[in-house]
Formats: sequence, C-alpha cells, structure tokens
Amino acid sequence: MQAVFDRIKESVLKTQVWKSIFRHDYEDSQRNRLLQVLDNIWLHLHPTKLPRHGAYLRFTWCMGGITFLLFLVTAVTGVLLMFYYRPTAEYAFADMKYLQFDVPFGMFLRNMHRWAAHGMVIAVWLHMFRVFLTGSYKPPREFNWVVGVILLTTTLLLSFTGYLLPWDQLSIWAVTVGTNMARATPLLGHEGPFGPELGMKPDNDVRFMLLGGTQVGPPTLLRFYVLHCIFLPLFLAVFIAVHFWRVRKDGGISGPL
Amino acid sequence: MSEETKPAPAPAEKAAAPAATAGEAPATPPKPTVAKPGSKQTLTKPIAETGNLWMTRRNFLSRAGWVAFFSFVGTMLLGSLRYMFPRVLFEPSTVFKAGFPTDYPVGAVSTKWVKDYRTWIVRNDKGFYAIFAQCTHLGCTPRWLEAEGKFKCPCHGSGFTMEAINFEGPAPRPLERVQIALAEDGQLLIDTSIRFREELGQWSNASAFLNYA
Amino acid sequence: MENLKNILSNADNVPIVGLLFIMVFFVWLWWREASRTDKRIANGEWEQIRAEGQDKIHVWPYLTRNEFLCSLAIMILLTVWSVGLDAPLEEPANPSRTPNPSKAPWYFLGLQEMLVYFDPWIAGVVLPTIIIVGLMAIPYIDKNPKGNGYYTYQERKFAIITFLFGFLVLWLSLIILGTFLRGPGWNFFAPWELWDTHKVVAMVNVDLHEALGIRSKLGANIFGAIIVGAYFSLAFVYYFWKKDGELIKQLGVARYGVLAFLFLTMMALPIKMILRIFFNIKYIWVTPWFNV
Ligand code: HEM
Repeated sequence: MQAVFDRIKESVLKTQVWKSIFRHDYEDSQRNRLLQVLDNIWLHLHPTKLPRHGAYLRFTWCMGGITFLLFLVTAVTGVLLMFYYRPTAEYAFADMKYLQFDVPFGMFLRNMHRWAAHGMVIAVWLHMFRVFLTGSYKPPREFNWVVGVILLTTTLLLSFTGYLLPWDQLSIWAVTVGTNMARATPLLGHEGPFGPELGMKPDNDVRFMLLGGTQVGPPTLLRFYVLHCIFLPLFLAVFIAVHFWRVRKDGGISGPL
Repeated sequence: MSEETKPAPAPAEKAAAPAATAGEAPATPPKPTVAKPGSKQTLTKPIAETGNLWMTRRNFLSRAGWVAFFSFVGTMLLGSLRYMFPRVLFEPSTVFKAGFPTDYPVGAVSTKWVKDYRTWIVRNDKGFYAIFAQCTHLGCTPRWLEAEGKFKCPCHGSGFTMEAINFEGPAPRPLERVQIALAEDGQLLIDTSIRFREELGQWSNASAFLNYA
Repeated sequence: MENLKNILSNADNVPIVGLLFIMVFFVWLWWREASRTDKRIANGEWEQIRAEGQDKIHVWPYLTRNEFLCSLAIMILLTVWSVGLDAPLEEPANPSRTPNPSKAPWYFLGLQEMLVYFDPWIAGVVLPTIIIVGLMAIPYIDKNPKGNGYYTYQERKFAIITFLFGFLVLWLSLIILGTFLRGPGWNFFAPWELWDTHKVVAMVNVDLHEALGIRSKLGANIFGAIIVGAYFSLAFVYYFWKKDGELIKQLGVARYGVLAFLFLTMMALPIKMILRIFFNIKYIWVTPWFNV
C-alpha cells in the first residue's frame, strides 16, 4: 500500500504541471526555509529571518496579524452578505430577516461578519496598546505609527457605517446620535460655533453631506452602504499595504535599541 | 520621559540605523551648502543671456502646464464635493394642516402630529404655539411626559418645560418653535421648516405664536 | 440583578465583557515583561539584552507556524461565537420613535458619555479630532530615546502612566460606564437597579459663574475666559518653574507646548466630570456663541 502511494507521489511530483507551480521541494533545509518565504506570494511580505523575540507571542501579542486576519474575515463574509442585501429603505430590513431566517447559513455569516468586526476593533486597540508599550513608535518608526492611527480611525468608521445597514431601531438611532454631532461642527455645522454666521443651514452643512438629507433617511442608507462596502475597505486596504511595507522598510519588527 | 537609570546607547552607535532619526540635530554635522547640479540654473541659460525679463519660454510653458493640471484636479475635486449635495430632497412636506383650533383643549400638549411631522401643538389661555420635537442636544425625539409636565429626551436626559425651555440635562438651549398660523378654512397651518429660537429672541415673532381666545 | 443579567446577555455587549478580561490579562503580561527587563537593566545586563535582540531565527517555520496557530485559534473562537450567539436585530427603523435609552455602538460610548459633560461641538467634534491628532503626535513629542523596542516601565514612567490613564481610565472605563451604568434618560443606574423609564432625577445644574454669584452676561463671559485661560496657562507656570528641568530641556519649547496642551485638554475631561457629578456645575464659560 505504502509503496503504491509513494509511486503516485513520485510521479506527481515529477510532472511538469506540479513543477511549474511549486518551484522547490519540501525538505527542511536551510535553502528551502528561505525559499518557502521568498517563492510564495503570500509569505513574501515577511523577511526570511527575524529577531527571535519577533516570533514570540508575548512580544507582539500577534495583534497586528489578528487585526489583519479579522479584516480578511469581514471582507469575505461581507462580500457574501452583499449577494442578498439591498441598501434601500424598503428592502434593507426585510433582507436582514430573509438572511437570518431563510438563506442557508445566512444567520451564521451575518454573525461572523458582526463579531469579526467587533473583534477587529478590540484587536486594533490592543495592537496600538502593545506598540505603545514596547515603544515601537520611536525613531525610525514614527511615520508607521501615524499610518496606524489612520488605520485605527478607518476601522472605527467602517464599524460605524456598517452599524446603519440593518436599518432597525438600533441602527438608525445609534447613527442619528452619532451624526448629529456633525451639526455642531465649528464653522461647518449649522449649530456649531460660528456655523450660522457663515451661512450654514440644515441643508448645506457637513452633516447634510454625510447624510444626503436633513435627517437619517434612505439617502443616508445608500451613502453609508457605498462607504462601508467600497470606499472605506479600499482605503483601509491601501493603508494596510503602506503599513506592512513600512514595517519592513523601517527595519522589521522593533527590538531593543 | 526623563529617567536616568542606564546610559542609553548613543544614537551614533546604531551603525545600521537610518539617519532619519529626527531631533538628533546637534549630533549631525551641518550640511554643507552645495549647489545642486540638477537645479534649474544649469538647465536654462541665465536671464541676461536669453534676453527674457523674468521667465523663459520653457519656464512659462511648464508653469502653464502645472497650472492647468492643478486647476483640472481642483475642479474635479470641487465638482465631486458639490455632487454630494443634492438639489432635490425626497423628504416629507414641512407644511401641514393640523385641524381646527377647537380640537385642542386649553393647557394641554397635543402629541398627535409627532409621528408624521415631529411637531407638538400646545394651547394655552392666550393661544397656540408649535414645538419642533427635536432635542437641541443631539436631535433625538423627546417625549411628552404628561404626569411630570415636561418634555424628556431619552438619549441624554435633557428636560424641557411645556414652554420648551430647557431646564435639566445637557441640552444647551430651548427646543425650537415652528411657524403657526390659521389657514383660510380655519384650520391650523404649520410649517416646520420655519423655526424660531428663543435665545435669538425669535419667539416674539408674529408667526411664532397664534393669538386665539 | 435582573437588569445586570439583561445587560450582560445583550449580544452586542459581549465584546465589552470580553475586553475587560482581555485587558486585565494584557496589562498583567506587560507588567511581567516590563519588570523582568527593568530588573535586568538594573543589574547592568543592558548589553546582553541588546545582544539577545540581535539573535535571528528563520521566519519559516518559526514565525509562520505561530501565525498559523494564532489564526486557527481566532477562527475557532469566531466560529463558536457565531454559532452560539446571534447578532441583534430589533424592530424596523422608525424615525419618530426614539428608543430609551438610545446608545451608540459600544466602541463609541466613551464619546457619548463625554457628551454629558461637554457641548456636542467639543465632545463630538473637537475632542475626537484632538484624540486622533494627539495620537499621531505621540512619536514626535516623546523624545525619550530609551524604551524603544522592549517592554519597560522604569525607563519611561511619564509616557506610560499618561497613556494608561488616557486609554484605561478615560477611554475604556467611560465605555464601561456607558454600557453598564447608564439607563433610560441617560440616567445613572447601579447595576442591580431596574431601568425605570420614569426615574426622576432632580438635576439642578448651574453654571460656575452663577454658583459664584456673577449675574451679568458680560461678566460671565469674561469670568469664564479668565478661568479657562488660567487653566491652560498652567502650562506657562510649569514652564517657568521647571525651565531647567530634564523634561523641558529634552523637549524644547514647541514640543513642550504641544505636550502641555494635549495633556491639559485630556485632564479637562476628568475635571469637568468631577465638577458635574459632585458639584452640579454645568458650564465654566458661557458666551453668546458657545459654552464650555
Ligand atoms: C487595520 C489595522 C492594522 C493592521 C492590520 C496592522 C498590522 C500590523 C502588523 C501585522 C504588524 C507587524 C507586527 C505585529 O503584528 O505587531 C504591525 C506593526 C506595527 N503597527 Fe500596525 N496594524 C494596524 C493598526 C495599527 C495602529 C492603530 C497602530 C498605532 C497607532 C499601528 C502601529 C504599528 C507600528 C508602529 C508597527 C511596528 C511595530 C514594531 O516594529 O514593533 N498599527 N502592524
């Protein structure tokens, strides 16, 4: 039996197709350890070697990695949810019910999307916390910390825009309370200090731009949907790319200097 | 930030560290000022030779090009910004008829138009006024609590008297009153898009209060 | 107790309860690592610590293995969580009926709580902006070269205490306060109290100038400006008092100015909370355009 398997394995490994995909064998050698990372598009974000403490959970808490993983989970489950969800006031709530009670695994996917999003908020806070505690924002990594703050803000905005989409009482009131603060923006809001003096009205200030109306209504749902599903994820992805690139360019994971 | 326990390794020791470390200014020698070889002076002839007063042709064209480029980008940005402000809104009408004055007992707050038009109508012994049901703190819809005789906002607990004056909680100013008048057929006519703010003295405007005996 | 059970079993609150335990764990972990390093530094082992930091290992398999295991653990947790607990869905949106209480998503409850103490333009716009910009400014303000790339406490006490205060005491505990102790009408409820929509709380807030007997509007305006100005000029007082101190020398005037402004702004929150909760003071500075 074993012999048969070995024969098959050997003949598969020899084929041109196999070799065209995998450029080296799997034996644990110095060379292969490097090639594993260098030859693999997913892993080549990594260096081939790193300081010992960089692989320890007690140093990085793996929190940046976990944040990224949770972002991927929300992206995948989010795309799946989009197959059933329509961002209009007539349908949004009904589609949530449909997803929950009728679509196979709909409830599960919705749960996963929501909990991964909550988890991502926690993970990104903890990641920032650990970067602060190890002083990893100090030179030469100052700018990557700034990029990180942009990521943190975007993560929160993503969560917030997503909160409106179920179009239930929880969502519209949370978003009403949240966006009402924009009324009070100094200079740019119609109730902010010096806003009215500059000609701000309920239908031309920043809040109006955010909501697409003077109250949280169907246009708001559509705007938040576009922000949540397209603009903010792309924005986040671009800055994650910058972030990762900078981690490498700033000399890899930080260590005692 | 200023503990003196261990001698921190002098930055100069970090052989491989990039020189980007800001704030080490005293350690780095002042940069000698060398004329950059690629700068404009070497590319174009001195003004005296070309005979142009303040700009060469190439200079002019490149500047004009950049101006065109940035005006284009700027216009696109402004256009997109304007795009976000629609001209027509599909929101419920702000003008409505609220029935006949005799439908309202004196000294009571009527909550029957809150659901559709977000407006309370109050009648006192002198006449009518209408209050817009939107908390001046963050825009939640307060409730009229009959027993306590006040409007109370569920979001952050602001309270308002029957006159719409804020007296508790975080609301910074009184609720707004809206325009009220009598229509030709004798019904109350309300327009919620016209608001009157007490702190601006607007409650004494003619259409903020309907005299009715 | 009934009520506490309700709050705890609200599916959206699960992350906060989780966060409580997670935070305790990670603060403990940091403390353990930091005190180890600090002890070694005190013993003069600094060169050795640095040398260990240079020690390199292969990414494959050592790092990739940890990443993989981490991902597995998280995915298992997430799957169990998603199978076991359903995301909430309430009644359909209804713009004319505000539920009581109306709460923002939990990660914004800190901001919502700030709204009790400051007007919306400060709590909702200015303070969040200052938080974001202030976070971004940290690397450019903190000139302490020590504590770069390892856990420590002794070597950067001020930075760490300030951050812990802002993150744990202000941000996280306000979230917890907002989740567990705020009920209908945004009134304060002890965890075992039932949320009573009709709870009447006599709020007799007065402005600071009223409490001190200043009646005229102009007087109030000037008085408030003086108080707020005096508060922020504490920065100057400290500057001239400690001009030759280590901290200010290291930072220089500009950095010191930014740090002092951010620090005083952060401390304004607890100060206003105390004034409001214990002294019923609403505004410190009242002007025709804005109130502080
Ligand atoms: C979407 C959000 C984010 C993702 C996906 C992310 C991802 C990562 C990853 C994978 C690393 C490698 C080391 C590690 O896992 O700890 C890292 C490092 C780093 N991150 Fe983030 N991060 C995010 C947000 C942030 C935030 C909010 C900050 C700070 C405000 C930040 C600052 C940094 C810095 C300074 C490093 C270098 C740390 C070192 O070299 O020790 N990042 N990030």
